[in-house]
Amino acid sequence: MILTGSEIQKRHTNGQIRIEPFSSDRLTTNTYDLALGGKLLKYTEDVLDPKKENAFKVFEIPEEGYQMKAGEFLLAETVEKIGSNHLVPIIHAKSGTARMGLFVHVTADLFDIGYYGKSTLQLYATLPVRIYPGMLIAQVSFWVPKGEIDLYSGKYQGGEGPQASKSHQG
Amino acid sequence: MSQVETGDITLEPFSVSQVNPNSYNYRLGKCLKVFIGYVGGKSRFEEISLPEEGYVMEPGRMYLGQTFEKIGSGTYSMSLIGRSSMGRLGLFVQLSANLGHVTSSHQWTLEIVAAMPFRLYPGMIIGQVSFWQVEGDIAPYLGLYGRMSMPTESVLMEKGYDFNR
Repeated sequence: MILTGSEIQKRHTNGQIRIEPFSSDRLTTNTYDLALGGKLLKYTEDVLDPKKENAFKVFEIPEEGYQMKAGEFLLAETVEKIGSNHLVPIIHAKSGTARMGLFVHVTADLFDIGYYGKSTLQLYATLPVRIYPGMLIAQVSFWVPKGEIDLYSGKYQGGEGPQASKSHQG
Repeated sequence: MSQVETGDITLEPFSVSQVNPNSYNYRLGKCLKVFIGYVGGKSRFEEISLPEEGYVMEPGRMYLGQTFEKIGSGTYSMSLIGRSSMGRLGLFVQLSANLGHVTSSHQWTLEIVAAMPFRLYPGMIIGQVSFWQVEGDIAPYLGLYGRMSMPTESVLMEKGYDFNR
């Protein structure tokens, strides 16, 4: 079952959902809108290998925006820290973002219950697109789980800034 | 886990270490199909066996892989996605058709695209499958793909395919 916007508001008030900073005007029918943070991460390897630590650089998005080339892949972060010990967050692009040909997560849209932190966005531009710090780029929905809850305690917990892959850690 | 014990969920082989808070980590099977071009109006794929030392994918090219595990359920609908550690490396798994029909059970065909050159290894944990309670009566899935365990290309363009289905 998916939460409505007013239910997201209620669960935020009673502490079951954490979103910081929170503003009621970001609520939509079934989601909460998320803003793009200031940092980008770019891999600098010729071939990405999941068995090793891949080199990357991190840089700030200028106020006038960053021009992504078609086919470019970057990691970014949300401004907001989000998470829940009671509900399962799923991240989506805002359709306005997607309609520009910008994907904000390539494959892993499901958050583990118990994760709390900034969301690392996986930006993939299918067309040239300019991105700005603070733009509303993604949205998060919340789903009611079935079964006993076992909270996440994995390697990405408490994410601050774009988090590179830790696949080599297993 | 309890749903695997009762037979409501099929995950074969099953390992407790692959269970997450809301999903199960699946592995990449050995067989990969590589698009080699259009021949006679049809997409042609070459089948390869992934070597232990890995296989480097070209960016922007679509490959068909398979899950190592047989995954299915007669009770729940499934959503199969890539793993965040792979997504963070620009590897798209199941980029568009991530919903699994309730009552299907097989080694899933994976649609795989890399944003940057990427090394694929057989047996690597590549994604997660989650299970969703359904509302309403369950009608058995009669489609073709839900029984296929080898990477299976689209049958959309096959002669005689009924586009109204």
